[in-house]
Amino acid sequence: MTMIQVRNLMKSFGENHVLKDISIDIAEKEVVCIIGASGSGKSTFLRCLNRLEDITSGHVLIENVDITSKKTNINKVRQEVGMVFQHFNLFPHKSVIENIILGPMKARGVPKIEAEQQARELLGKVGLSEKEKAYPASLSGGQKQRVAIARSLAMNPKIMLFDEPTSALDPEMVGEVLQVMKQLAKEGMTMVVVTHEMGFAKEVADRVIYIDEGLIVEENEPLQLFNNPQNERTKAFLSKVLV
Amino acid sequence: MEVIMKSLPYLFDGLQVTLKVFVIAIIIGFFLGLIVALLRLSPFFILRWIAKFFVDAIRGTPILVQLFFIYFGLNTLEFISLDRMTAGILTIAINAGAYYAEIMRAGIQSIDRGQDEAARSLGLTNVQSMKFVILPQAFRRMLPTFTNQAIISLKDTSLLSVIGIADLTQRGQVQIAATFKAFEIWIVVGVLYFIIIYLLSLLSSFLERRFKLS
Ligand SMILES: Nc1ncnc2c1ncn2[C@@H]1O[C@H](COP(=O)(O)OP(=O)(O)OP(=O)(O)O)[C@@H](O)[C@H]1O
Ligand SMILES: [Mg+2]
Repeated sequence: MTMIQVRNLMKSFGENHVLKDISIDIAEKEVVCIIGASGSGKSTFLRCLNRLEDITSGHVLIENVDITSKKTNINKVRQEVGMVFQHFNLFPHKSVIENIILGPMKARGVPKIEAEQQARELLGKVGLSEKEKAYPASLSGGQKQRVAIARSLAMNPKIMLFDEPTSALDPEMVGEVLQVMKQLAKEGMTMVVVTHEMGFAKEVADRVIYIDEGLIVEENEPLQLFNNPQNERTKAFLSKVLV
Repeated sequence: MEVIMKSLPYLFDGLQVTLKVFVIAIIIGFFLGLIVALLRLSPFFILRWIAKFFVDAIRGTPILVQLFFIYFGLNTLEFISLDRMTAGILTIAINAGAYYAEIMRAGIQSIDRGQDEAARSLGLTNVQSMKFVILPQAFRRMLPTFTNQAIISLKDTSLLSVIGIADLTQRGQVQIAATFKAFEIWIVVGVLYFIIIYLLSLLSSFLERRFKLS
């Protein structure tokens, strides 16, 4: 089944045409990694998938629902599409568990007891059971990102979007976050991951997409794309990042 | 000394009126400010414009003129009749509201955009994001500025004596007329204001410390 369909997606900020013409299908349980140079439009693309950015033209369908349509209740769609940010964006005035139960309680109307129970299970899953009452300020970067992932998962999303989830982390904390993401992939989550972690892409991705100047230049299975890139621009990019 | 002891009960009555006006006005002003701040941040040009006009008009005129306009000016209109208390409270509230609106707008805008994005990615509506994520953080950040403005509003209430509201200042004047002890009475009046304002700032730093802990 196709989870995400993108058709002729274009996105401009004024005169700056960031996404020029992007079409792609992403299947259920597929893990897609997006790579590309800084400013090439990776984040913008990801943010169009849950309409954090308004789409200039084209269509994005999530489970066959056109989120560009005015009639679509975007809040409902977003409940099914989790997003993890480079800078975590935890709510600093709320404890770890309060961060996690906010979405289920307010967006889905889950009773508090139930939401807390689920939050504890998720905290166990990301290895942070003992941090339930802690505030974000007291956590390390890796812990923050794992809480952020748990917070997204609490909505029971069908799709998870990750925008450079490990870029803001100290090197020694990258592993613990990638570990959680690998586990998710194994459980069959549909994932779109913007990343500079080529090792992760190689190991986990079903498909890697190279974006440059707002266009998909090349896409392939990770081993194919990394070892045998077809396009000159892909080659140039990879030679810079794969040292 | 005896004179002071004798006039204290009257001054306390005045203090009660001052506090009543202050509390009611500051509550109305707070919500007025919140509404105006949200209008200023709304996507609709006309609403933003109305809110900005209101803020500029209030901030660009003396509060005494506002008081006279509301009490004497508006009351010349046939369908309006405000007693002095209502007019007084309204003036303080509207004035505070305009300043609160600016404080809140700045506070809301100072919250990182990522907070709203995270909230909305979870499926929260704009209103829920504002209510549960943005405003609680903004209010904490604004608390010291809030207190400052509240203290200014408290001092502004003493202007209401000019339309004959029996607040602390007006009672002071009355007591002086009766006793001719201007020096002593004004000192007592000043000390009473000072105590209230001091308590306000204590409350504020207490709240600030509590928020810091969480
Ligand atoms: N809100 C915005 N307003 C105006 N321009 C923007 C906005 N967001 C992104 N852009 C522009 O769009 C282009 C692509 O940005 P984007 O963040 O998608 O790149 P990226 O591939 O994610 O880069 P990075 O690897 O640095 O995160 C850049 O030129 C950027 O300046
Ligand atoms: Mg980016």
